Amino acid sequence: MLKIIREYMEKSWLLIVSSFFFGLLLALTNSAWSGKIEQNKIDKLNGLMSSLITDANKFELVLKDAQVDVGKGRIVKTDVYKAAAFDGNDAGFCFRAEGTGFADKIELVIAVDAGFEKIVGYSVLASSETPGFGDKIGRSFCNDQYKGAPAGKLNLIKKGDDKKIDNEIVAISGATVSSTAVVNIFNNYLEQIKKQLTEKGLIGNGR
Amino acid sequence: MADKTMTASEALIGGLWTEIPVLRLILGMCPMLAVTTAVKPALTMGLSVLFVLVCSNIMVSFMRKLLKPHLRILMFTLTIAAFVTIADLFLRAFTPQMSEILGPYVPLIIVNCIIIARAESCASKCGIWVSTVDAVSMGMGFTIVLFILAAIRELLAAGTICDIPVLWKGFVPWAAMRMPVGAFITLGLMLGLVNALTGKKS
Repeated sequence: MLKIIREYMEKSWLLIVSSFFFGLLLALTNSAWSGKIEQNKIDKLNGLMSSLITDANKFELVLKDAQVDVGKGRIVKTDVYKAAAFDGNDAGFCFRAEGTGFADKIELVIAVDAGFEKIVGYSVLASSETPGFGDKIGRSFCNDQYKGAPAGKLNLIKKGDDKKIDNEIVAISGATVSSTAVVNIFNNYLEQIKKQLTEKGLIGNGR
Repeated sequence: MADKTMTASEALIGGLWTEIPVLRLILGMCPMLAVTTAVKPALTMGLSVLFVLVCSNIMVSFMRKLLKPHLRILMFTLTIAAFVTIADLFLRAFTPQMSEILGPYVPLIIVNCIIIARAESCASKCGIWVSTVDAVSMGMGFTIVLFILAAIRELLAAGTICDIPVLWKGFVPWAAMRMPVGAFITLGLMLGLVNALTGKKS
């Protein structure tokens, strides 16, 4: 037994040592720059929220660490912001949402109207989807289908009229996985965020 | 040319002319075609590759006497992946917009053939000095070609260089130069020009 372990160690010690060395190097680099990367994301989030709800004067954090079950038992926390219009009325809600795409995690910023009845739109915060195919989730063909769609369960269809605004989303040709990922993100988040906002009395009859 | 007897001057000339990665070795074609729609992302990609190439060549050269045949490729990939991750984190922290423009092409430097080819043919056989010179010259050669291709495409597609207008007001942009077809045509012409200059025949 010892002989086998020794043989393995002789063959792989350099790989093991290097793995620890590079792991440490990456951990140090990440800890040094992660704050800056996170701040960049927050700045971008603020910019995207303003571009989605154009008549918003300011955004107020109304629900911190809202828990969303994104499937397979994984719970993700997100913050929900309420947009106040220039005239003082509510302009809508915004929140960051994420799900698994084709290549990596897809992060979106979703905006819904003040009554949580309709989707105002979404923007892509981060994605590594395939250039020319999956990255079309950030373009108008996909994006425009969500503007004005009901803030409820959405269905993905392969063929249909992409100009018709309803709960049926036409998939991007050649990027069904990415299209499905976006629809799943909406389906996971809309229902659960709506429920939590209702419980808090921010929407619905309790408001 | 890259073997144990390679000298620093040979390495320098190799990367900048006789073995210039894109035009002579036809390596690193994916970023060459994908990120050359404008000069700024092309330069960022070129400098990122230069950084990874220098760091990985130094590391591989440093451990070259310890490398065993069955571990060689694994060690190269581990080393390259670590430095690519550092480059990616740097871009995300300090140039977030550029990081977004380049998207997955920065992590994809891991599979850039130039880097693994230099680790295999130079750094694993030569000393640290020659390996560093080789990495700098190969990285510079790659960056220069990337810059020329991006400058031609940006100039014809938008009439600008680094977003600065340089062509006359009535210039009609060639939309095709922004598309893949523009990259293929420009690269083809550059390859033809280099072949004509060096007298290379099919």
